[in-house]
Amino acid sequence: MSDAPMLEIRNVTRRFQGLTAVDGVTGHVAAHELVGLIGPNGAGKTTLFNLISGFIAPSEGEIRFEGRSLAGMRPHRIARLGIGRTFQNLRILPNMTVFDNVSIGALATFGHSAWQALMPGRRSRSGRISELTGDVLDQVRLSAQAGELAANLSYGRRKYLEIARALATRPKLLILDEPAAGLNESETAELGEFIRGLVRRGLTVLLVEHDMSLVMSICDRVIVLASGAKIADADPASVQRDPAVLDSYLGTRD
Amino acid sequence: MSAASVPERGDHPTLPPAFAKALLALILFVAVPATLSGIGGGYLYQIATTALIFVILAASLNLVTGTAGLLSLGHAGFYGIGAYVAALLSTRLGASFLVTLPAAGAVAGAIGTLVALPTMRLVSIYFAVATLGIGEMIYVTLLNWTDFTRGPMGIRSIPDIEMLGWEPHSPMQQYLVVASVAAVSLWVLSRLTHSYFGNALRAVREDDQCASAMGLNVVHLKIVAFGASCCFAGIAGALLAHTANFISPDQFQFGESINILAMVVVGGLGSLPGAVIGALLLVILPEALRSVGDFRMIAIGSIMFFSILLLPKGLLGEASALSLLRRQFGEAWSGRPGPPVGWR
Repeated sequence: MSDAPMLEIRNVTRRFQGLTAVDGVTGHVAAHELVGLIGPNGAGKTTLFNLISGFIAPSEGEIRFEGRSLAGMRPHRIARLGIGRTFQNLRILPNMTVFDNVSIGALATFGHSAWQALMPGRRSRSGRISELTGDVLDQVRLSAQAGELAANLSYGRRKYLEIARALATRPKLLILDEPAAGLNESETAELGEFIRGLVRRGLTVLLVEHDMSLVMSICDRVIVLASGAKIADADPASVQRDPAVLDSYLGTRD
Repeated sequence: MSAASVPERGDHPTLPPAFAKALLALILFVAVPATLSGIGGGYLYQIATTALIFVILAASLNLVTGTAGLLSLGHAGFYGIGAYVAALLSTRLGASFLVTLPAAGAVAGAIGTLVALPTMRLVSIYFAVATLGIGEMIYVTLLNWTDFTRGPMGIRSIPDIEMLGWEPHSPMQQYLVVASVAAVSLWVLSRLTHSYFGNALRAVREDDQCASAMGLNVVHLKIVAFGASCCFAGIAGALLAHTANFISPDQFQFGESINILAMVVVGGLGSLPGAVIGALLLVILPEALRSVGDFRMIAIGSIMFFSILLLPKGLLGEASALSLLRRQFGEAWSGRPGPPVGWR
């Protein structure tokens, strides 16, 4: 167990009717590591994310989490194993309050059955859910807005709300899908500092990102995808010098 | 907002819960019977009893359609199952109300759960169509299984409510029994709605993919909500059987499902008080407008039309009916690629 990486992706391929979105990708994320996953548009980053969190199944290959195969598991089972995720296009629940949004993440741990809703003991359970929710809200500095409807938050704060909700599931591995998309430079830097802080406190993070500067400045290791295949897997400095990466990704900037 | 206290849901001003409960109980058990007896009416009691039956129906449908966001078009079918279970048990086996009432709820809930198992993986409009089909199947079964249900003739002379030898003879006593059942049903439904279970259902309604990424078993939640909702529809059916003393299949047709849905929509999807008010409105208004004859149907139609047009969230709702419908139709409505339609 101690030697096995937290997340292991073994030769995973996913085809969509003739299109191979992810093509034989192998890689891993070790515990307490912050790994960036980058690649040009259509490189298969989000597909790989959906494969890890169980929204789609691999055509070939296998994904293992803490030594356990995720094959055939539905998304909620995978989430309960300890993989929390955010979505690329924000998926907050606008008609619910900030507090309720985040507490959704805590429900799987503390129980939310119809039976429990009718039986005594809901005070103490709801106390524990509130405690965890309040804790997470403090971390993302949204405590002051706990009672507001999520729809009233600014775009930047919604990003944190989405991360907070994933944190409330008490994940071991947090996978973030383009958290910096749509943020300005200083907001991006602040977010990077926040993610780094999560890793310092023991979380493992896999980060899909478009923003190169963010990935290069905070990640321990960077995996590069192009046309569904992995073309590099190294520390940020080496990746930036890798000719294959420059060719397929960075080269497009010129 | 301190972390230890759960914020009030929604943005409506609310009374302190204990006070509100006491006030509602006072209205239900004292004010209404006093008023009705004051203006002297057996007939008025009948209307009040019917209104309470529909309050249970609307409140239970609200759990599935309002809170969990599953458009169900077959609620009257489960209402019918409850009514027939109660009617058959009491006329054929002489079972008392204390047996027929829970039995009606249990059978309707069990059938609802069984039916839900295969349909819950259907998304959006396909689920609505499936429930429509189920409702019609129940109706056709009640109509054609003549040996068992007496078919279109219906079941007559269903015994009155009877509990351990006590029979409520006056309309007021009957009303009070129905009011007690309605109060307990509403209490259970309100617990289910205003709890973390309810929040999980809301998450499913707003974004089921996101809910499952948070570790919520979406299919399981939907099945439980649907089963519970059907159970209360069955209980409402039993109340109808024992208070009207006559039931027939045409009381449980598609139109009745739509009628119940209209109550939920007018009251506001997702709001329990809304469903109650919607039910009261749509039962009492047609009676109040009886003097204008056939125009009353136009008046009721207009109320529904304008409430959707002017109050998209109904009187008190959390989600707008149009946006629910829009989601049901998925990409076909918006023209942009939405969540996959069909099986999930």
